Amino acid sequence: MLVVENLIKQYGDLMAVDNISFEASQGTVFGLLGPNGAGKSTAINCISGLLKATSGRIRVAGFDVQKEGKKARKSLGVVPQELALYEDLPAIDNLRFWGKAYGMRGAELQSRVQDVLAHIGLGDRAGDLPKTFSGGMKRRLNFGCGIVHRPAVMLLDEPTVGVDPQSRERLFEMVEAERNNGTCVLYTTHYMEEAERLCDSVAIIDHGKLISQGTVAELRAQLGARDVLQLSGEFPQASTELAVKNLVESGLSDLEMISQEETSITLTLTSGSQHLPAIFSTLSDAGGKVSETNLRSPNLETLFLLLTGKELRE
Amino acid sequence: MDFTLSSMKKDLLRWMQDPTGILLWIVLPLMIGGMTALLFGGGGGVKPHGVLLIADQDDSLISGLVAGAFSQGELGELISVEKVSVDAGTERINNGEASGFLIIPSGFGAAFFESTPVTLTLRTNPAQTILPGIITDVTEILLDAGFYAEQLFGPEIRAVRTADKKGAVDEVLVSSVAVAVQQKIDSAATRIFPPALDVVIVEPPPTEPAVPLGFLFLPGVILMGMMFAANGLAGDYWTERELGALRRIVFAPSRLMPFLVGKALAAGLVIATIGGLTLFVGFLYLGIAWHKLPASLLWVAVSGIALFAWFGALQMSSSSRRAGNLVTSMLLFPLLMIGGSFFPLASLPNWMAAFGRRTPNGFIADQLSSQITTAGAWSIGAQNWLIVLAVAASGLLVCAWRLQSGFARS
Ligand SMILES: Nc1ncnc2c1ncn2[C@@H]1O[C@H](COP(=O)(O)OP(=O)(O)OP(=O)(O)O)[C@@H](O)[C@H]1O
Ligand SMILES: [Mg+2]
Repeated sequence: MLVVENLIKQYGDLMAVDNISFEASQGTVFGLLGPNGAGKSTAINCISGLLKATSGRIRVAGFDVQKEGKKARKSLGVVPQELALYEDLPAIDNLRFWGKAYGMRGAELQSRVQDVLAHIGLGDRAGDLPKTFSGGMKRRLNFGCGIVHRPAVMLLDEPTVGVDPQSRERLFEMVEAERNNGTCVLYTTHYMEEAERLCDSVAIIDHGKLISQGTVAELRAQLGARDVLQLSGEFPQASTELAVKNLVESGLSDLEMISQEETSITLTLTSGSQHLPAIFSTLSDAGGKVSETNLRSPNLETLFLLLTGKELRE
Repeated sequence: MDFTLSSMKKDLLRWMQDPTGILLWIVLPLMIGGMTALLFGGGGGVKPHGVLLIADQDDSLISGLVAGAFSQGELGELISVEKVSVDAGTERINNGEASGFLIIPSGFGAAFFESTPVTLTLRTNPAQTILPGIITDVTEILLDAGFYAEQLFGPEIRAVRTADKKGAVDEVLVSSVAVAVQQKIDSAATRIFPPALDVVIVEPPPTEPAVPLGFLFLPGVILMGMMFAANGLAGDYWTERELGALRRIVFAPSRLMPFLVGKALAAGLVIATIGGLTLFVGFLYLGIAWHKLPASLLWVAVSGIALFAWFGALQMSSSSRRAGNLVTSMLLFPLLMIGGSFFPLASLPNWMAAFGRRTPNGFIADQLSSQITTAGAWSIGAQNWLIVLAVAASGLLVCAWRLQSGFARS
């Protein structure tokens, strides 16, 4: 449904998207994960035609975005990261207008608009102006505007930013409903739990580069059963390194230090909780002081930490 | 076509949410127009005072008295007479530096006594309306009545004077004076004047029927409303961009032109409504024949679209809403000033009026002015309609190009 091959987008010297390829199929949700500035929006904007890719090939529902732009655009539904609504036009007229913009008309449009209104839970506010809506309601209408024309491929760029938990759940349900209808959904987020909840497959990008890709299960497996242990405090560099080495030699063979700073270190190991006393005593023998401990079980978030050595969100 | 209409409907629906702006575009020009109209006739403002150039080639007692008649009594305060040579007079009237130029040929005095026909030449300034009219009237009377005119028509001339002091020399007064004078001539002519005194005024025939003051102000006032509205509505491109809607348009498979044309049609409708209301009031107040209204209204709508298209193009070529507003308001007020919205084109010096007619709004106002002052339901030439349509189309093309090349994308 959606094929991206060797996509590159350059801003001057900056590689905002650096040779990314992936494929998303019908009836699935494909997640694009990455921290702020990873290049998610840039990639999505290249697919939607808002930006012109520096190089690479993009096909939507079999149509090349460059060569058969009009057909490709007709198969695409975009829900932009920032709201894109006529705040001073009644909700129902927003939906009608965007339906018309995609060539729908007459009775088909009218009935589809009613369906979408019900689907996004705004049936009773159809005649009201979006500027009188809550943030969550605006998000839902923003979503509705992107699906009026029954797109085969949907692009959702961080649709849950600034959304309360209730509206967020509603949005997940709407995305799942679209997927169940056979739509191919490309979903960007920096919330790993969203990806785990919603996505069938995931690509993780950082600094424009694709660093890992697969189904959620595959990515979990890549992580193994290792926990992530983050410690804050004071850690003299040389002696800390030595202490970690000693711990590995004394039996914690899969212990690994991912990042090391004067005030914090990040370690990974299996069954972390069992080995905490040994780790603490070795570190304090080496002159370290632990003021804060954070032990996390394996998930996509810790995978990102493992892959890049940094947090997904600051 | 479908999307064009839907684009138009969307904007009309949106703009109707905020009718105060539209109301302002109606009220403001009427207020400014009313105020300048008052100022214009008022004591502190521009006071009708004309210069009559006289080339006296006869230089007789009689010709001297004719020339003197203009500078005597009440008339003398309205018109100052300057004696000039034929060459100097011709040059100055051509430059629009006087209200009228009267040539008294040699032999006039003799012809007067002998009651033989004689030809005087009176040239009036076509850029002015009221004073040349008075001069023409008075000259005709003088030539009919000789130098008795001042005594005979003192009351009427006095009426013009006092009215002028109150700041209301208007068409009604001038024409009522003319009627009164005509009646006196009719009743007294056969008794007082030698019937053989037959003087002809030639070149040019009164080029322009005296256009009432209100007629001069109406097009300018309408144009002011149109310009305010076109400029204000063009800012909506920024609003649409800030709302993110323009980006969605780029995602959509429909072309940009129907979107823009729909928007321009909506703007044309709003501008025609604003201009139409003012036109309606003006037609009613000035008693303009109603059959001139349809073409006037269509002209306002089509030119409104052209103005909107170019204000939009200017906005979209600017780097920010503030920069856009700065550029358009820097253009707006000088254009209104020179294009006849604050002072009617006919009241400006000739060179300035000629320049003003070449500004977009001056051109539109000038055509509208000829539409409402000349006879016939459709007085605007086909080539002028084409000009406005071409301007509208080119403006929309620039808008489409700007939308495509970046305005909608960021
Ligand atoms: N118009 C632009 N000109 C120059 N650089 C840009 C432009 N737009 C984005 N970038 C850069 O490209 C990189 C990727 O930005 P992008 O908006 O795609 O990130 P993102 O993954 O969507 O981040 P976020 O989670 O914050 O939305 C960033 O470094 C950003 O600064
Ligand atoms: Mg983004």
